[in-house]
Amino acid sequence: MLPLSLAVLPFGVLFGSLAIQKGFTWLEGQLFSVIIFSGAVQLVTVELVAENTPFVALLFMALVVSSRHFLYGLRLRDRLSTQSVRWRIGLGFLMTDELFAFSNHRRSYASKYRLYYALGAGGSFYVAWNIWTAMGIFAGVALPDLSNLGLDFAVAAVFIALVIPEVKTVPTLVCVLASATSSLLFLFYGFELGLIASAGIGMLCGYGMQRVRS
Amino acid sequence: MSPTLITILSVAFITFMTRYLFLEEKLPLRLGPNISQLLSFSGPAVLTAIFIPILFFNNNSIDISISNAYLWGGVGAIAAAYKTKNVYWTIACGGILFIGVGIYF
Repeated sequence: MLPLSLAVLPFGVLFGSLAIQKGFTWLEGQLFSVIIFSGAVQLVTVELVAENTPFVALLFMALVVSSRHFLYGLRLRDRLSTQSVRWRIGLGFLMTDELFAFSNHRRSYASKYRLYYALGAGGSFYVAWNIWTAMGIFAGVALPDLSNLGLDFAVAAVFIALVIPEVKTVPTLVCVLASATSSLLFLFYGFELGLIASAGIGMLCGYGMQRVRS
Repeated sequence: MSPTLITILSVAFITFMTRYLFLEEKLPLRLGPNISQLLSFSGPAVLTAIFIPILFFNNNSIDISISNAYLWGGVGAIAAAYKTKNVYWTIACGGILFIGVGIYF
């Protein structure tokens, strides 16, 4: 998990500096990372608040961006729902895209040792994310606009580093290609729910391919 | 409480609920083997749907010109990830191409 913690440095800095630019106090900016702990949701919320979006619309967008977590919860339900409520709340709160991708191992969460391992991975990622946010807040106070530096490219690179090594079978390849194609189509037509819709299409195509081959 | 604070707290609550909901044991829901198999594709499907728009969408439109540094960087990152399976190499190769092309154009 350490490589991932370092790899999201640009993302955290981007968020922190953006929060300051959009008129949040440093305390508010840090609070985002302390209690929300989701880069995509945090960025969207900061943008929408700055655009004076109505409260209900803002909550709806937060739900849309966050809805992929439903998939993660469903996927981990078999392994985590029987654990105590403290484990579920703790690991649930820490369940970022990165931790989920990291926990794709067959025996993840299957033993006490594995649970503590996940807690360490998720917890260290949480600490790192908050330090990067704080650095971004300082940079945002001290320096002018950081948002044109292309720090968001680092976000894409991290996700590429998470996806590509997972593409080991034809069904997974089909899943990734279908998700990529449909996300471009939704982007082209400006469909707001594109993220979750493309993910769904990708999953269905991968699953379909697996059924055809077995 | 300030409106900003209420907003942050509400969004935090929503985010947490999306993460926690299906981990709750009391939720009356059992997943069959087909659904589990379908869900095994959730990681790659979701992450791809996140990174593709970053590479293609710039200044509020889809950009597939050769001056799009994000695309070059993305191709470099994919190649490096495929070859090395290493996070640092992926970001380094992608980042160098991204910055290089950005300077060139």
